[in-house]
Amino acid sequence: MLAKYYRSFKHDLDQRGIIFSFSGYMSEGILYSLGDALRQKMALEDTDVGTVKKVFSVFVEQAQNIIRYSAEKVGDAARTAELSSGMVTIGTENNRFFIVCANTVLATDEPKLRDRLERLQKMDKDAIKAYYKEKLREAPEEQSKGATIGLIEIARRASEPIEFDFDRIDGDTFFFCMKVCI
Amino acid sequence: MDTLKIAATERSPEVEFNFKQGLLSLRGESYPEDASAVFGPIFEALEKFLATLDGREIRVDFDLTYFNSSSAKALMNMFQMLDRAGGAGARIAVSWFYSPDDDTMKEFGEDFSEDLEHVSFSLVAVETAS
Repeated sequence: MLAKYYRSFKHDLDQRGIIFSFSGYMSEGILYSLGDALRQKMALEDTDVGTVKKVFSVFVEQAQNIIRYSAEKVGDAARTAELSSGMVTIGTENNRFFIVCANTVLATDEPKLRDRLERLQKMDKDAIKAYYKEKLREAPEEQSKGATIGLIEIARRASEPIEFDFDRIDGDTFFFCMKVCI
Repeated sequence: MDTLKIAATERSPEVEFNFKQGLLSLRGESYPEDASAVFGPIFEALEKFLATLDGREIRVDFDLTYFNSSSAKALMNMFQMLDRAGGAGARIAVSWFYSPDDDTMKEFGEDFSEDLEHVSFSLVAVETAS
């Protein structure tokens, strides 16, 4: 039963084209190791350098967004022993790479995040590049540890507009996910 | 000032600022979650050094293969510091190295150089062994 169960779980992931998927508490160490494995895997398959860089960059920004902004955390930020929970999934479909991240966000943060992503969805490549440059020159916003520019970086590397969605969990939180195709 | 030498880590670049010779370089990758922790000491040393320059000639090499968005902001800060020092009379030559097949790093070099008014900037394509 055990093998059957996990074989079907693995089969389901394979069917979706998933190269790897991480769910749980994300840390800088996990980010580094997963990123390293991702680059090795793509290099072994002779993926072109530009694509490897784009996938890696989107992966790093998404994982760091989870570390910074997931509403589901254990520990204490003041003692730098905090872990944030979320999910990162990387795979291929229709001969293209996709990267999905998901985490819990506070309902109070949802409108701002939605606005930022909707704004990026409407922009073409040149507008995204100009917006990136504008934000690069700006002093960091209060409360934001650089989220805006991280999202613009993701949009800049994507080959089509970012897809995202929110699913309400309860009065205080949403399940947020974002899909980026390279 | 003594040379500032910081070894690269898995997610931060190698720093070698030889103040005596006026040769400063940043090499490798930069994607720490907290960019200010990595770049804070670099900025502090650079600011002190730039204040001593007057009309001296210095060279700054950027040989980076990848950096995240918060490092990009820190690098922009660094370019602004260099440009200010150039405006105050220092002769600063910045080289931005990139691999010929790496459009992203080339584009970043172009982005950073756009605002520079008092610093000479060269984009240098270098074939790497890898």
